[in-house]
Amino acid sequence: MRERAWLKRLTRETLSKRFVAGGGIADRVQGQFRTDATAWGILALQSAEEEESVLEKHRGRLATEQDKDGCVSVSHHHLEPFWPTALAILAWQAWPSNHDALSRAVRFLLNTTAIQYPRTPDSPFGHDTFLKGWPWVAGTHAWIEPTALAVMALKATGDAEHERVREAVRMILDRQLPPGGWNYGNTVVFGRSLHPAPDSTGAALTALAGVVSEEKVEKSLAYLQGEVDRLVTPISLGWALLGLSAWDSWPENGLTLVESCLAHQSRYGDYDTSSLGLLFVGAFSGEGKKNGPFFRRSSPKSVIAA
Amino acid sequence: MTNPATQNTEWSITRRDVLLAMSAGLVLGVGSLVVPKRYFRMPQKAQAFVAKIQNYQLDIADVIVRGMREIGVSTDELKGKRILLKPNLVETASGAPHINTHPLVVRGAIEAFLQLGSAKVMVAEGPGHRRDTLAVYEESGLADVLTEDRIPFHDLNYITGYDLANTGRQTSMRTLTFPALFKEVDWIVSVAKMKTHHWTGATLSMKNLFGVMPGIYYGWPKNALHQAGIVNSILDINATLKPHFAIVDGIVGMEGDGPIMGDPKRVGVLVMGRNLPAVDATCCRIMGIDPYKVSYLERADNWLGPLSEGAIEQHGETIASMRNNFNLIETIPAHQNLRLA
Repeated sequence: MRERAWLKRLTRETLSKRFVAGGGIADRVQGQFRTDATAWGILALQSAEEEESVLEKHRGRLATEQDKDGCVSVSHHHLEPFWPTALAILAWQAWPSNHDALSRAVRFLLNTTAIQYPRTPDSPFGHDTFLKGWPWVAGTHAWIEPTALAVMALKATGDAEHERVREAVRMILDRQLPPGGWNYGNTVVFGRSLHPAPDSTGAALTALAGVVSEEKVEKSLAYLQGEVDRLVTPISLGWALLGLSAWDSWPENGLTLVESCLAHQSRYGDYDTSSLGLLFVGAFSGEGKKNGPFFRRSSPKSVIAA
Repeated sequence: MTNPATQNTEWSITRRDVLLAMSAGLVLGVGSLVVPKRYFRMPQKAQAFVAKIQNYQLDIADVIVRGMREIGVSTDELKGKRILLKPNLVETASGAPHINTHPLVVRGAIEAFLQLGSAKVMVAEGPGHRRDTLAVYEESGLADVLTEDRIPFHDLNYITGYDLANTGRQTSMRTLTFPALFKEVDWIVSVAKMKTHHWTGATLSMKNLFGVMPGIYYGWPKNALHQAGIVNSILDINATLKPHFAIVDGIVGMEGDGPIMGDPKRVGVLVMGRNLPAVDATCCRIMGIDPYKVSYLERADNWLGPLSEGAIEQHGETIASMRNNFNLIETIPAHQNLRLA
């Protein structure tokens, strides 16, 4: 309980220094408003049980950034990198006052795919390049983290049974590295198996929780459990904690790792808001309270059917 | 942020060039395109310094200072300047430090620029494979070095960007988004690793600049640039950014299936210069690779810089004395027929 109070206070205090006048959250202290920073900030503040009026203001600002077709991009000047859309859905999904923004974002995701390539016998790639997932940037191939984020978002909005989600789950499983774990999304290239990374593995495991059996990811879980104690940076640790928590394997020393990671800012400088938000979300995921947006496994009704 | 080396490109026309141009005209006159296009461009001149240095424990800063002086980089030129060093940090793997620029080469470059009067040196990178830049920074050993030296490190993947018109115009991208941090520096230095590459043949100082493009705009593994064409993107980034200097770490390089899965290759060399294509062409020759067979270099020839051995004034060791053929994999298309005769 003491730790929870400490974490809540720290999350609120740290992120409040990055609030932008009029709503939204900057990429760093005295930085500029950014959609991804705002979405991660909202998710962290929501975990810290921030007042609804504060969250409402940031969600509203995020909604003003939404394009007509429903996507939320990195900035108005850069519409192609639409990967923050899934984060915006996660940030909005507990926000009944703007059902429209949420449903348009969901429709955008369901109607958008990455570039696929038919598999050929001489392909240098080990993965199935024809399975649909989501890219970071419009007009590019599907990769692990944007696909995992989209799956988490669509699970949270009650679309876990949608064909796009089912295919994305197959795509994520197909990109699992033979010895376990995931990286950005290439498995074997020119016959060589590539290296896994804790951040990609944590994201994939979070997305797959509740939709595949543990047997299918046990090597990846073992990989991440073996890595987590040495992680000192927010993106890797944040995703690792989320991924382990999603499979009821949150490490006993989780909060100690978080404290150590926060202390490393004396070495690396202040973390950017997205990384920090992810770390806080990962830290709160150890509470055993699986009702956060990342862990929602089903919903009575799809948000777009409502 | 302009590059004086590019602005004052040294042009010269030799009798040989005139004869070649005449013969090219004759060949064109009979309707054939058999003469390489490099003969239709005005030849450029550049300098490169090749240093023999057997291991990372030697005085790398001293070698870099000597090299920079030999090719005419003066203290007057660097006095008060803000320098951004861009190493090659890709990812880390146990037992594979040769994936990344060695931290002691980065330290050597920092010390060299400070010794030559620079006001400030910073290090920045935006890895293409790992979204967690700080993890690569830590695990590569660079964090230990920069923390000890009190040198700032910037994660280029998450920095809000600014757009520049794409002056290279090789891809269909009208603008390129660079990190806003670049507005605050005077020199951009590519501190690359000498490696083979399974998509481009070789990755050296020009290809290293893929890492300046922020992941938040280009994704991981910077796939928007792959879709636009790797070769064309390398050319556009270099043409638009106009980097000022290059240092290539070939003390231990990577051969075979680079840039990640290859084997260490001990060459014991550092190559540096103001002109990146010239530096990379010199590296290729040391690696036993024909630079004219590396597509992006061939396209850069006499546009972004010269490739011809005769056009690159060589300082330090000779290429012949340092040549150490890198293993190429014939089943990888980008490696086929690269070997220098």
